[in-house]
Amino acid sequence: MGTQPQKHAPPCRELPASPSYLLPLLQLCDSALPTGAFSHSFGLEAYLARGVVHDETTFAAWLRQFIGQQLVYSDGLAIRLTIEAMERTGLAEVLNLDRRVTAQALPLQMRGAGIKIGLRMLEIGGELFPTPDLDAYRAHIQAGRCAGHTAIALALTAHGLRIPLAQMLTAYFFSTATTLTQNAVRAIPLGQRAGQRVLRLIHDDVTAAVATVMTLDEEDLGAVAPGLEIAQMRHEYQLARMFMS
Amino acid sequence: MSALLTDPAVKAPMGELRLDIGIRSGRSLAIGQYHRGALRVLRPHYLDESGQVCYVTVNQGGAYLGGDLFTMDITVAEGARLLLTTQSATKIYRTPKAFAEQRLTVSLGPDSTLEYVPDQLIAYRGAAYRQGTLINMDESSSLIMSEVITPGWSPDGQPFKYEQLRLRNEIRYGGRLLAIDNVLLTPPSAGTADISGQPVADITGLGFMEGFSHLGSLLVVDPRVDAALVTELRILLGDHEQDALTGISQLNGPGFVVRALSGSTSGLNIMMSALTSLLRERWFGQAPLNLRKH
Repeated sequence: MGTQPQKHAPPCRELPASPSYLLPLLQLCDSALPTGAFSHSFGLEAYLARGVVHDETTFAAWLRQFIGQQLVYSDGLAIRLTIEAMERTGLAEVLNLDRRVTAQALPLQMRGAGIKIGLRMLEIGGELFPTPDLDAYRAHIQAGRCAGHTAIALALTAHGLRIPLAQMLTAYFFSTATTLTQNAVRAIPLGQRAGQRVLRLIHDDVTAAVATVMTLDEEDLGAVAPGLEIAQMRHEYQLARMFMS
Repeated sequence: MSALLTDPAVKAPMGELRLDIGIRSGRSLAIGQYHRGALRVLRPHYLDESGQVCYVTVNQGGAYLGGDLFTMDITVAEGARLLLTTQSATKIYRTPKAFAEQRLTVSLGPDSTLEYVPDQLIAYRGAAYRQGTLINMDESSSLIMSEVITPGWSPDGQPFKYEQLRLRNEIRYGGRLLAIDNVLLTPPSAGTADISGQPVADITGLGFMEGFSHLGSLLVVDPRVDAALVTELRILLGDHEQDALTGISQLNGPGFVVRALSGSTSGLNIMMSALTSLLRERWFGQAPLNLRKH
């Protein structure tokens, strides 16, 4: 409260501030975000039914393949291509990408999951962090010109918030892994601490997966490992199911 | 990884083939045909009285080597019916400088059909191969295509010594993108390791080959495909699950895909034949396919 002029700026201005996108990113990638993702296992439940995934170790092995394959070649690459398309030409190219993202999901339930979770993500993104692009994307979906997809809805929201791609991918991959781990904790079942150990274990896999996404080209979209795809197909007709995919 | 990055497209194809199938005297036949280099077709023949013409492609070199590019351009005109197969297995040998590549484009006119049944693809040690197929279908046309991929013998007796296989099918149906069927197998980097670097899963294991050695795919697009047919085929598929793991799912339109893992080419061929025999009988009144090649 002195009257002498200050020689330095107040200390609080020297502290590094969090980037403005951090809180939106945390909110969008909170596994409690009501997109309905928690009711999907993306093929995990077929591995449970076959007894291949039955404990912490086998679940961790599955989750690591899911991150390195499914998330990289499908959602991860789709997010990157969406953001690149927005920076290049805007939404017109994204509509074309939407059709490719739908077409590359061969298992029917995976196609359904991408669209269903995508529409919820689009509603939430549009309500919390509205941009004209999100509105336009929704209008194209309503007009039947494209189907909608989680990766594209999320990427458009991230683009509006200027969330850097690597941070977006890292948070989204980890968030998806968290949701799947919570599902595994319920379905296998595993202890909550075991679930946390698995999530700690996959940190390096998430980092490696983000790096891989950056090296792929457009033709790689949908190159998901055959075993994962077969499980996702078999889930359609397995008898006892807790999850929608 | 430069072997994977070098694009062989800069040089002339090792083999080129163009076939334009139409109808002559009530039977399907090539009305235009061109080949150059190591790729050609045998004389057309007919396996039954249906009018479906059978062409057999021949790779005179016997194998695909590094940098080789093979292109095939097939059109099937209105009402015509083509059965396309290979004389023998497609063998990919070591490709030290650049990947070998096959590009196939197909155009199916109204009420035309293509049944594409190549022999198995065998990838040997050090092989890198890329196969791109683009199919443009009229909404009244019919497509049945199968594929079997096997790892070739290697000196140390271990399978999966090839570098990379990329097989990508893109299907456009009535001008609309219907399906992208993308298989990418890269044994050297397919797996995951634990914190100490010990492998947890590799190409032979969880998520990829699930303990099997052979991968089969069947892709069918036809206006007569519906959910009831897919269920019927799924039950039929269930009879072939000894030493195999299979999945079937309906595409985003009138079509379906089958993926199957098995321990042998013959197991996969018997399985695919059971499915295609039902379709041939029901849709075209034809007997099960018997190519009498071997």
